[in-house]
Amino acid sequence: MNRYTLAAALVLTLAVSVPAADWAQFKGPNASGVSPEKNLPTEWGKDKGVAWKAKLPARGVSSPVVFGDRVYVTCSGGVRDDKLHVVCFEATTGKQLWHRQLKATGSTAAHPKSCMAASTPVADETGVYALFNTGDLAAFDADGTLRWYRSLVGDYPTITNQVGMASSPILVKDRLIVPMDNAGESFVAAVDTKYGKNVWKVERPREINWVTPLVRTVGSATEILFDGPSGLTAYDATSGEKRWASKLTKGSIPTGTLDGDTLFMPTGGVTAFKLGAKGVEGDPVMKAKDVVPGMPSPLVYLGRVYAVTGTGVVSCADAKTGKLLYKESLKGAFSASPVAGDGKVYFLNEKGTCSVIDGKAAEFDVIATNELGEETLGTPAIAGGRIFIRSDKDKMLYAIGK
Amino acid sequence: MPRWIRCAALVALALAAPPLRAADAETTRALATIKGVTKEGKGNEDAGPAWKVLVGKGGPALFPALEAFDEGNATASNWLRAAVDAIAEGEAAAKRPLPGDKLEAFVKDTKFAPTARRVAYELLVAQDESAKDRLLPGFLNDKSPDLRRDAIARELDIVEKLARPTIKADLEKLFAHTRDKDQVDLLAKKLEANGGKASVSEHFGFVTALSLVGPFDAPDGKGYLTPHPPETAKDATGVFTGKENTVLKWGAHTTADKYGSFDLNMLLGKHKNAVAYAMAVVVAEKDTPVDVRVTSITSVKVYLNGKELAGRDEYHHGAAFDALVGKGTLKKGENVIVVKVCQNDQKEQWAQNWFFQVRVCDDTGGPLPLKQKAGDKLQALGYVAETESKKGDTK
Repeated sequence: MNRYTLAAALVLTLAVSVPAADWAQFKGPNASGVSPEKNLPTEWGKDKGVAWKAKLPARGVSSPVVFGDRVYVTCSGGVRDDKLHVVCFEATTGKQLWHRQLKATGSTAAHPKSCMAASTPVADETGVYALFNTGDLAAFDADGTLRWYRSLVGDYPTITNQVGMASSPILVKDRLIVPMDNAGESFVAAVDTKYGKNVWKVERPREINWVTPLVRTVGSATEILFDGPSGLTAYDATSGEKRWASKLTKGSIPTGTLDGDTLFMPTGGVTAFKLGAKGVEGDPVMKAKDVVPGMPSPLVYLGRVYAVTGTGVVSCADAKTGKLLYKESLKGAFSASPVAGDGKVYFLNEKGTCSVIDGKAAEFDVIATNELGEETLGTPAIAGGRIFIRSDKDKMLYAIGK
Repeated sequence: MPRWIRCAALVALALAAPPLRAADAETTRALATIKGVTKEGKGNEDAGPAWKVLVGKGGPALFPALEAFDEGNATASNWLRAAVDAIAEGEAAAKRPLPGDKLEAFVKDTKFAPTARRVAYELLVAQDESAKDRLLPGFLNDKSPDLRRDAIARELDIVEKLARPTIKADLEKLFAHTRDKDQVDLLAKKLEANGGKASVSEHFGFVTALSLVGPFDAPDGKGYLTPHPPETAKDATGVFTGKENTVLKWGAHTTADKYGSFDLNMLLGKHKNAVAYAMAVVVAEKDTPVDVRVTSITSVKVYLNGKELAGRDEYHHGAAFDALVGKGTLKKGENVIVVKVCQNDQKEQWAQNWFFQVRVCDDTGGPLPLKQKAGDKLQALGYVAETESKKGDTK
């Protein structure tokens, strides 16, 4: 290969590999639910506007995650729900690249609506980290090589939650943050991404909790913000040391969102707190008591805060003042959290119907209603100009878009 | 066939069949490394490279990996589970079918881990659907719960389609082998519809006669951690001080519920921050390894002959069947099983239930020839008098 060809190949490689925004974890960048991408799909159907679709090996209520040209999905199945799956697809084509299975080592008890694939995996350029409700935790390289595996129930046998768990792991540099609030030994731990060993592990109250931690940078420190029934705690990402705590918010199901130094939490509707170096500063800066989240997490997008209840009541308020802009009903039950990008807000109900709302309009403006006709409980992912939706019992993964 | 001929035939077969695969030294080392992983990621730094070596061997490493599965080391088995997937995927990509005859031999060989045999079965069936009909008839009483379940489901389908005059006996045979609750219920229903009798409670080995004492005080919902004298009781004769200084004595109770449920709200009354104890006397004809399996919607512990077998401290999150499994050995003669059932002080309407079920079975969840004491009587575990079973309640 001559110099010219090499340079051309390099340029081409870079052009191809420059990723659109990744959607690496639950609700995308820092669990915001917001993609910076443009030209996102507005209209689709089961056989319209779908770039590709792929069969999944089993059900799941976790979200797909996308990093570079890899889409990762977790599933669980078998009559005992003890067969755990991690599947990797090529994002551009939908080609299945690899599929690995594990056998559950912890209890598979859960509410029938959920399953063992409820926590969303987290990905980086090296691969994917999958946590199942059974406490099985595995890291796979992007090519499917098992980097490491742990049975957290084997390590900490009292872990138990017969309702089922759903908090998702997140990444902070070379550390995997593992939330494990449950009725038994509860903790949040930082695990090194290379070998899967504990860097630190901090005891937590023995309470069941489905909230996913957030990450905040404060000066030179990085904090893990983990809300739960006993309050919000900020841990130092390096040491696990508690930096501050607040009882102003007590979460259990939906996850809040961080917009700059303002923390929007699903408490009293949605309440916003200004965060300083030492935690929550003063009284709430915004209260949107009429913006009521159910199981889905609230969304902050283009200066507005959104929420949807389990029965489909969508509410939207000004993110600065809390003034209610509208409260309208969509059809169906909702488990998936709303996500947004390209000026649109996507509300996906449990029957595969996604209502696309104009995120710039001052009023409730449904610009499209798209039917997949399949049960959808997991939150969609947005990456590479596409929306990735996984169905639950119909066991399909859709890449919506061109 | 005389026994010696059968033995000779088995030996001849064993000698004729070559070993599935002799692993090379590198593979053997890789497997040993993977099997060396323990708790909290200890050994992961070596297991990762060993996994790559193993998978890099391709097809020749498939059977050594399957053979290395160990039900006693679930962590290592999951490393191997993922390796088997990667090896099989590599072979498929190279368009090399897996050796069906060897997979079949592996699946049939019960000296290997049930989990590994099931994995091998799935690999085989993925490339040869007809293997189901060859293999499943031999798995009606298999140690692998999934192979057993599939075998019974297939046989049930055949039995119903053929509807032979022997259908009752055919269904009885399947009922004896089935273990999963939904399949047990289905077969019991079909058996009864065909003129047979099926005791679900005896099949599961539920304790249906026992003594109860309570409520004991458990301030702040800490009953699980607070010991009371009945935990080490050897018989149901003691007198104790309970909540609000009440005098408590053991009382005999039975249940006619086919799942052996004892409703403590009904039997002892509604109490908060309370603990109750149940004592069963189970009689074994010889020393017998058993599972003592408990279902409860609240925190629960189980003791065998004064020794704690297992416990789970969780309130009102669900009552998954057999959620608590304690493993122990019954001694010949009488054995005392004590179940400690706790109630906290949650106020929600859905948090008022207080009940438990306990059963004694083999490690597949199947029945054992055990008796329970009901007063002076000895009766089969799970016994429910016919008149009581129609009422289906506890008293």
